Amino acid sequence: MHIVVPIKLVPDLAEELEVDASGTALDTEWLRYRTNEFDDHALEEALQLREVSGGTVTAIALDAEEADKSLYTAAAKGADRLIKITGAGEKPSSHATARAFADAIAGLDADLVLTGVQAVDDRDGQNAVLIGRYMDIPHVSVVTGVSIQGDTALVHKEYAGGAMGEFEVTLPAVLGIQAARETPRYAPVGKVRRAMRSATIEELASSGTAEAGSSVTRMFRPEKGQGAKMLTGSADAIADQLITIMRDNGVNL
Amino acid sequence: METREIFRAFPFLMQAAFYVVAMLAIAVFLYGFWQRIAKYRKGSAAQRFDKLGARILRASRLMTTNATVWKRDSYAGLAHLLIFWGFVVLFIGTTIIAIDHDVLRFFGVHTLKGTFYLWFSLSMDVFGVLFIVGLVMMVVRRGGLRPAQLDYARSDRPGQVVDRSGFTRDDQIFLWLLFLVAVTGFLLEGLRISADRPSFEVWSPVGWAVANLLDAVGLRSSAHSLHAYTWWIHAVMVLGFIGYIPYSKAMHMLVDFANLVFQDDMAAKRLPRVSEEKMKVGAGYAAITDFSWKELLDLDACTKCGRCHVACPANASGGPLSPRDLILDLRTYADASIGRPEWLGQSFGDGANWPGDKVAGISVPGDVIRPETLWACTTCMACVETCPVGIEHVTSIVQMRRHLVEEGEMEDSLQDALANIGDYGNSFGQSERARARWTRELDFQIKDARKEEVEFLWFVGDYASYDPRGQELSRSVARVLHALSVDFGLLYEGEKNAGNDVRRVGEEGLYEMLAEDNIATLEKARFREIITTDPHSYNTIRNEYPEFGGQYSIRHYTALLADWIEEGRVPIARKLNVKATYHDPCYLGRYNDGVAPPRRILEALGVDFHEMARCGKNSFCCGAGGGRIWMDDSGLEERPSEIRIREALEIEGVEVFVVACPKDYAMYTDAVKTSGNEGRIVVKDIIQLVEEALQPTV
Repeated sequence: MHIVVPIKLVPDLAEELEVDASGTALDTEWLRYRTNEFDDHALEEALQLREVSGGTVTAIALDAEEADKSLYTAAAKGADRLIKITGAGEKPSSHATARAFADAIAGLDADLVLTGVQAVDDRDGQNAVLIGRYMDIPHVSVVTGVSIQGDTALVHKEYAGGAMGEFEVTLPAVLGIQAARETPRYAPVGKVRRAMRSATIEELASSGTAEAGSSVTRMFRPEKGQGAKMLTGSADAIADQLITIMRDNGVNL
Repeated sequence: METREIFRAFPFLMQAAFYVVAMLAIAVFLYGFWQRIAKYRKGSAAQRFDKLGARILRASRLMTTNATVWKRDSYAGLAHLLIFWGFVVLFIGTTIIAIDHDVLRFFGVHTLKGTFYLWFSLSMDVFGVLFIVGLVMMVVRRGGLRPAQLDYARSDRPGQVVDRSGFTRDDQIFLWLLFLVAVTGFLLEGLRISADRPSFEVWSPVGWAVANLLDAVGLRSSAHSLHAYTWWIHAVMVLGFIGYIPYSKAMHMLVDFANLVFQDDMAAKRLPRVSEEKMKVGAGYAAITDFSWKELLDLDACTKCGRCHVACPANASGGPLSPRDLILDLRTYADASIGRPEWLGQSFGDGANWPGDKVAGISVPGDVIRPETLWACTTCMACVETCPVGIEHVTSIVQMRRHLVEEGEMEDSLQDALANIGDYGNSFGQSERARARWTRELDFQIKDARKEEVEFLWFVGDYASYDPRGQELSRSVARVLHALSVDFGLLYEGEKNAGNDVRRVGEEGLYEMLAEDNIATLEKARFREIITTDPHSYNTIRNEYPEFGGQYSIRHYTALLADWIEEGRVPIARKLNVKATYHDPCYLGRYNDGVAPPRRILEALGVDFHEMARCGKNSFCCGAGGGRIWMDDSGLEERPSEIRIREALEIEGVEVFVVACPKDYAMYTDAVKTSGNEGRIVVKDIIQLVEEALQPTV
C-alpha cells in the first residue's frame, strides 16, 4: 500500500492579509505560508492507515516558501518519503497546482492519494477533485473515514445536514479528507530537527503543462452591506413581499 | 574501679555465639546494602560530585539540626530530633564499647573506666531517655494524631486496588523495634545493677531507678539469671535491626544523608539539558535505567512522610497526582525490575495493570506512571521545597514528560499551544507582529531596545502581551515606569515566549529553539539590565538561559519598585486604605526567593496587609504552571485557584487579593467568578495598587 499525500502551503491567516497594489492578489511582503490544515488531517489519516495496513506514506509538495519545513515536519510525524515538485511557477492556480501534483503522482505507483478536502486558497475547485480528474481515477470528497479492503477502499463521506454516505472505491483513488480519525499528531521540534538531518527531499521537475483555470479580476475586503430589511406580517404577506422584492431585483420567477 | 564487664559472666561459647550472630547480621546488612548500590549503578550518569566538601558540610548541617524535618512541623521535628540524637549517641556509645572491648583490649589498653566510664554511663542514660521520648511521640503521632499526610490511601488511582498494608507494617516494625531495643537496654542495665549493685552506677540514673524498681517487686534474687536472657533478647534485636536496615524504612538513615549530599540546589529551577547524543534518539526517560543514579537514590530516600502529598496542588484539587505516590510507585517498580523486590511494600490489583518486574517493552511513563498523572503536575515545586530529604520530583516528572512529548502523547489543547508557540512564538496563535500591540493605547512611545540603547530591557512575556487582562497590567507597568522617568524599552516583535513552561511541559526541542532565538535577539539589543513582569520568564532567563549562553542581570519588577520606593524615587501620593493579602507566584517566591519585595511595596503603600495560612515559599500554586494553563482543568474537584481564593477569604474582611504575575491575574479573576465570590474580593496586580497610590485623589 503506497499512500501519497499532496500537501499545499497556504497563506497563514494569523497574519493580517493585505491586498497588493495590483488589486488582484495578496500582498506577499508579510505573507507567511503554512501547511494547509486539512492536508495535515490527510497526512494523519495516511499514517493511521499505514499502521493498520502497512505500506509507505509519501508526502509531496510544490516548491515554495516553507515547503522544506512542511515536508520535514511530515517526516517527523512518520512519512517515509518526501518529494518536492520544482518548476511549477511562483503562484500556481488551483488547476496548475493539481496538474503538477497529478503528473508527479502518476509516476509514483500510488494506491491511494489523500489530500485535504479544501484549503483557504482553493479558488476554482478543490485539490482532490482536480487531481482525480487529471489522473482519471475515482474521487470522493469530504471524507471522514477510510478503511482498506483489498483493492478497494470503504469510504465515509459527510453530507450537509448530518447525513453520511458510504462508498466503495476501486483503488487507486483520490480522497479529499475532511477529518482524520484522530487529531493530527504533534511533531516535536527535536524530531523535526532530526528529520532535517536524516531525511532527504527528492526533487521532481514539473511537466509544466498547466491548464487555464480562472483568473482574478479584483481582490478586496468584504464590503459592508446596507443592513437587513426585516419583513413582518403573516406568512402569506411575507411571501408576497419576497416575490416582489425578488422580481424588482431582476430574479426571473 | 568504675567500669562494666561487657560479657557479664558469660561462658566462652556464649561469647563466641554472639560474635557469630553479629557477623551474620553484618553480612546480611552488607548484602542488602550492596544490592541497593548495585541498583543505583544501573541508573544513568549524573554530575553530583562537584564541590563535594561543601555538599557534605551542607548535608551534615541539615542532618545534625534536622532543619528540614522541623520546617513547618515542629512536633515531628522535635520527635525526630530526639530519636536522631538518641540513636546517634547510643550508636557512638556502642562503637566506643566495641573499640574498647574488641580492639584496644588486644593492645592491653582499657579506656572505658573511671571518670570517663561514669560520664559515658550518664550520657547513655540521658540520650536513651530522649530516644524513648521521641519514639513515644511518634507512636502517639501515628496512633493518635494521625495527620492527613500519613494516610496512605490513594486518590490518584480511583477504582483501583493498591494494597499498602506493607508500608504500614514497615513503619510499625521500625518504630517498635527501636522502642523495644531502647527499653530492653534499660531493663538490662537495671538487672545488672540490681544483681551487682556497684555504688558508682548511680551515674546511670535510669538503670539505677530500674534496679530499684526490680528490687521493689522482689526480682533481685533472679536478676542474675534474668540478665542473661534479657541480654540475648536485646542483642538479637539490635543485631536484627542492623540486618534489617537495608531492607526497610530504616535505610533512610543512610540513604537520606547521601541524598542530601547529592541534592541539586537548583533542582526544578534549572532543568537538566538533553545532550546532543540523547537529542538524536529522543529526549526523556522511557526505561527505568534512563533515570540517573541520583533519581534512583531519590526513590529510596522517601520516608513516606507525606509532606509533598499534602502540599501538592494537583492532589489537593482532586487531580490524579500525588508526588509521594509517584515516587513510591517508581520505587516499587525499580526494586522489582532492577533491584531487589520490596520486602514490605505495596501490591497492585488486576485493574491497575501494574507491570510487575518486567523490563522489556515497559515504558515507565505510561506503564508505571500514567500519562494523566504526569500531566497533572503544575511544576510548582512545592514537593521539592517541602521534601526533608532532597527528593527532586519535578525533574523526574519533566524527564518522563519529555518522553510523552516525543511520543506525541498529550492533550489536543496542549498540542495546539505548542504548535502555536513553534509557529508564532506565543501560545495564543496570534501573529508575532501583534506582540506589542498593547502599547498602541499608551499616549507615549516605548523605546525599541533593538534600535536604541536603554537602561532597562523589559521582557514582557506572553500573557502580559496577548491576554487582554494581562495587557491592561502591562500598560499599567508602562505608565508607572514612564511616570518615574525610567529609561526602558522592549524587544517588540523580537520577543518570543521565554520557554519556561514549554520546557516544563517536556518539549525540550522547542525550548532550545525559543531560548536560542531570544538570546540571539537579546544579544543584538543594548541594555544594562532585564526587568520582567512575568515570574515564569524570570525563572528561565535567570536560571536556565546561562546554560545556553545568555548571561544577563535580570530582576522581577517588584524588586526594582521596592528599592525605588525605599530610595524615595516613587512619589506615593496617598496611602491605600485597603485590607489585602498577597499570593506569592511559585516562580517568584519558591523558585527565586522573591518573597520580601512585594511585601515591602505593600507596606510602603500603607496597605492593611494580612498573610494567608500558606505564604512565601510555602505558597499554594494557582494551577497554571508547567503548561497546565494549556490543559483542560474541568475534571478537577476544585481548581487550585478556587481553593486559594477560599483560603484568602478566611481572612476576616479581606478586600483585595494581590498578585504579581499576569497568569495569576487571569487565573484568579476567573476563580473569583467561578467560585461565586464576585463582590466579596477583588484581584489586583501589585502594579495597579502602585499606580493608584501615585494618584493624589481617587
